Amino acid sequence: MLIKYAGVVIIMIWGIVFPAILLGLSKLFHPNNPTPTKLSTYECGLETQGETWVQFKISYFMYALIFVAFDVETIFLYPWAVRFQSLGLFGIVEMFIFMAILIVGFWYAWKEGALEWM
Amino acid sequence: MDANYSLMAIEIATALLAIGVLIIGLLVPKEQRYGLGYLVTIGLTGIFFLTFAFYGTNTKLFGGMYIVDDFSIFFKQIFLAAGILVTLAATLYVKKIGANYGEFFVMMVFATLGMMVLSSAGDFITLYLGLETMTITFYILAGFKKGDSKSAEAGVKYLILGAMSSAVLLYGLSLIYGMTGTVIVQDVAALITAGGGMQPALIVGLVFLVAGFGFKISAVPFQMWSPDVYEGAPTPVTAFLAVGSKAAAFAALIRFFLIAFPDYQAEWKVLFAALAALTIIVGNLVAIPQTNIKRMLAYSSIAQAGYIMTGVVAADAAGIKGVAFYLMLYVFATVGAFTVVMNFSSNTGSDEIKDYAGLAQRSPLMAAVLLVCLLSMAGIPPLAGFAGKIFLFSSIVSQGYLWLVIVGLVMSMASVYYYLSVAKVMYMADPTDNTPIVVPVGAKATLLLTMGITVFLGVYPEPLSVLATIASKALFMIN
Amino acid sequence: MMGNIGLEHFLIFSGTLFCIGLFGALAKRNVIAILMGLEIMLNSVNINLVAFSRYATTGDLTGQVFAIFVVAVAAAEVAVGLALIVAIYRDRMSVNVEDFDWLKW
Repeated sequence: MLIKYAGVVIIMIWGIVFPAILLGLSKLFHPNNPTPTKLSTYECGLETQGETWVQFKISYFMYALIFVAFDVETIFLYPWAVRFQSLGLFGIVEMFIFMAILIVGFWYAWKEGALEWM
Repeated sequence: MDANYSLMAIEIATALLAIGVLIIGLLVPKEQRYGLGYLVTIGLTGIFFLTFAFYGTNTKLFGGMYIVDDFSIFFKQIFLAAGILVTLAATLYVKKIGANYGEFFVMMVFATLGMMVLSSAGDFITLYLGLETMTITFYILAGFKKGDSKSAEAGVKYLILGAMSSAVLLYGLSLIYGMTGTVIVQDVAALITAGGGMQPALIVGLVFLVAGFGFKISAVPFQMWSPDVYEGAPTPVTAFLAVGSKAAAFAALIRFFLIAFPDYQAEWKVLFAALAALTIIVGNLVAIPQTNIKRMLAYSSIAQAGYIMTGVVAADAAGIKGVAFYLMLYVFATVGAFTVVMNFSSNTGSDEIKDYAGLAQRSPLMAAVLLVCLLSMAGIPPLAGFAGKIFLFSSIVSQGYLWLVIVGLVMSMASVYYYLSVAKVMYMADPTDNTPIVVPVGAKATLLLTMGITVFLGVYPEPLSVLATIASKALFMIN
Repeated sequence: MMGNIGLEHFLIFSGTLFCIGLFGALAKRNVIAILMGLEIMLNSVNINLVAFSRYATTGDLTGQVFAIFVVAVAAAEVAVGLALIVAIYRDRMSVNVEDFDWLKW
């Protein structure tokens, strides 16, 4: 019973050991001459200004909301995709109706300006 | 796959109406969308007449997942009647609140669709989907008034408490599924017997279900959301919420408890009898000191839920007939009353009862309709509410629940007091402002329809009573 | 040990999760946290459904299908919830339920 899980344990151990070896080798061989520029935090090439706990602009929120609503609907595509050959024409028509309703929703969101940059 | 989809024509037509209006709303420019409200009213009326063709169908679809019987058809007519009246009355109000006009009516149709699915649900999944389609659209509708903080607050509160009750209901459903191994409501009863009767997990599931449904119909320990939401939501939404959401929850509750747990009637009947008595007493007593008319109507609608629940306690064809009949006439009384409130507040900006002073002089029609509707809710003889209460109370007297009838009658007397105090303000007090209140055409049609039907059903209840009897018999017929 | 995980473990787990979610929904003051509590409650139901469909029935997948529907509906619920919270935040500049007192609770 337990022996079946031996592979998992080996991968876990290897997952720890292998990066350690690589990092250790790199540490051994790399040249070491730090400068202040090299030690500064990498922040998309720019220094951060002021507080980092700023509020994000609310316009990001609309994308997130639309993403949440549409993202989860794909959950229904998976069972269909696995079985669609045995479901036949009926399944395809059904799925197209489902997608059509989703697309109407997406079209509505687009047209009403939910995707505009505010 | 081999199911007969024409049996779902009502639901398909409703869904197409909603999506169609959504698309039309996208295609026409913003200023020209004001016809959409009437389009929805006409569409719903067409579907309403379509439903008559389905009486006598009594079939199951998809192995019992979806049930098309006279009981569900009758309830669909309740939802459609409410939808037609509310959309007809709301056109101008929605224009005034300045939100997205077409969207409001699309949401109304989607809510109606959810109610229809709920009333036809034959298994847990359909039940849950119908329930959530209805409630999620109501969350949106409750918070629909843009820039009005009360409306947004009502939406958030309804969402939090509604989602919590849905989760509780769902947990109950999952326990029943686990104990019986089925989600089909009709198979539950036999499988409970086969599985060795009532196990503790099933009892927990049952209690969770009572709590979840109790919330949706705003029975008393679970009623705290309704006054806030009723007050904060836009008035057409409040009317639709009070009528449709309650009727749909009752339809699902009746089907669930009567079909899935018939062998444990003794247990849940006691529970519902206690809930009904508590709901009637608290609803009526708390309604008395209210000064805001929407809050007063909210508590009165809680009390009405208590009266309707007495029919569930009876749990036989007569009781269910009483429930169906009462819910239908409750549609007209409630929508009529809320239409007056809606029109009054869009003219004067107030929902306070004291501002209704002298309404009889400013708009005799509105005052008359409000009076008729309130008296019908109180159950005063020549009006429809009286016939409805007779059906309900006579069904439980024969089962030995005389004490519940006495509670109902005494509290009905108490309710006359606060209904008449509104009438007193409208008819006796002098108006502070003498300008007459204009009633727009759509709202006028709703007012006249609701008043006419309330009086008509009180004098001549036979047609509706026959339909309600057919509906209640169908519930027990299906196997 | 490993082979012994059975239905009761899942039920205890989901029951605990449900209570944590309910406590979060009732005790938290931040609306976002309340929504998270509600999501935990729904997920505990999903665990229940999937566990029942695996252990309590013989190859019946209805519970798993039910769970998929619950996930989809929960996403819709949370999207509407967040939208309403943004609407009320724009008005009150707060996401604390104690500030939502314009209507009596």
